[in-house]
Amino acid sequence: MSEKQRKRSILDVMNEYMEEFETLADELMASAFPEGPSWNTETCCLQALSNVSVTSREVIVTADMPNIEPETVKVEAVDENLIEITAKMKKKVRFADLGIYHRQGEFSFLRCQDRIHVAFDAEKMKISCKGGILEVRFPRKK
Amino acid sequence: MLESVEIVEKKPIPSEATMIIGLPDVGLVGLIATSYLITELKLEEIAYMDSDLLPPVVVLHKGLPHAPLRIYGNQTLIAVISELAVPVPAIYSIIREIVDWGQAKKVKRIVSMGGIPVENRQAITEPQVFGAASNQELLDTLNKKGLSVMNEGYIVGPQALSMRYSISRKVPAIAILAQSFYNYPDPEAAATALKEFSRIFEIKVDVSKLLEKGEEIRLKARDIMKRTRQEMNRMKKSQEYDLPLYV
Repeated sequence: MSEKQRKRSILDVMNEYMEEFETLADELMASAFPEGPSWNTETCCLQALSNVSVTSREVIVTADMPNIEPETVKVEAVDENLIEITAKMKKKVRFADLGIYHRQGEFSFLRCQDRIHVAFDAEKMKISCKGGILEVRFPRKK
Repeated sequence: MLESVEIVEKKPIPSEATMIIGLPDVGLVGLIATSYLITELKLEEIAYMDSDLLPPVVVLHKGLPHAPLRIYGNQTLIAVISELAVPVPAIYSIIREIVDWGQAKKVKRIVSMGGIPVENRQAITEPQVFGAASNQELLDTLNKKGLSVMNEGYIVGPQALSMRYSISRKVPAIAILAQSFYNYPDPEAAATALKEFSRIFEIKVDVSKLLEKGEEIRLKARDIMKRTRQEMNRMKKSQEYDLPLYV
């Protein structure tokens, strides 16, 4: 076997290890954080998409909340690292409205929970809502 | 062992058609725009993709099972959509097969519709649309039609691969990209991209219903956006924010 062929096969082996490692990591993540549905019929909530970004001065949480009544938005710090945003939808959505007849349930709220890994001041939050995109800004604690 | 990727034809495929690719990506712009186009123009399902690289999924519509990655068409248009986020390990083979198939069907051009992620999308009332093309002649055509060109930058993901494979197979390719949210479904951006497509290729599509259904689409599209996000992270889609180096 030539030097070039030997080198290529070492790279191939490394690539195989990397792929196996990635698969294992995915499996571990799946078992540690099992996926559930994005809806909850007990709480009548649909899970809203959200995003957290951290700057040097503040934490900005955005959430996609179409069809909500803006005056019903509630932002709560569940604990020092977790916030929850809830809002009531203008119109209830049922599974049947989405063409789904093999499940029963209706949803009145959009909700999301986000973990924030830096200290922030929940008391001084600023909330704005434009086009159904909610933005909550928290100043960071020093 | 090489995993097979095959496009299974259900009906005769027109020749010299314009092929549109709208796969789940930033803001789901391409998917929303292409799905709406299929509905508005009443395109028929003409083919679907069969591959072990895709998850074991069928989508039920009106009780009947459909492959998640499907192709619709009429005499002049072929539209490719996917109702699942294409897994990153499969994306090369999937897009290659789509472009190869398009070439074999002698498509006139391949048009990818999608989004350009912008940080301040919330502040933008009317998203701008930009174009990219596989050759100078097409770029000049886009310019003449009044579409701003994406002069320097990165494109990552399905549109990037479709452009790359189209160039190597000498199939004319265009990307129509609207400013959009990165990780929230953006029907407004989709409507803007579709309006430009309609204007450039003189295919009448009324986007008013798309805008009316915007909030409904955003609610329905949460799950596919969530899964698309996971794949976008894997393919390092955020590189589209990078400033390119050109010395």
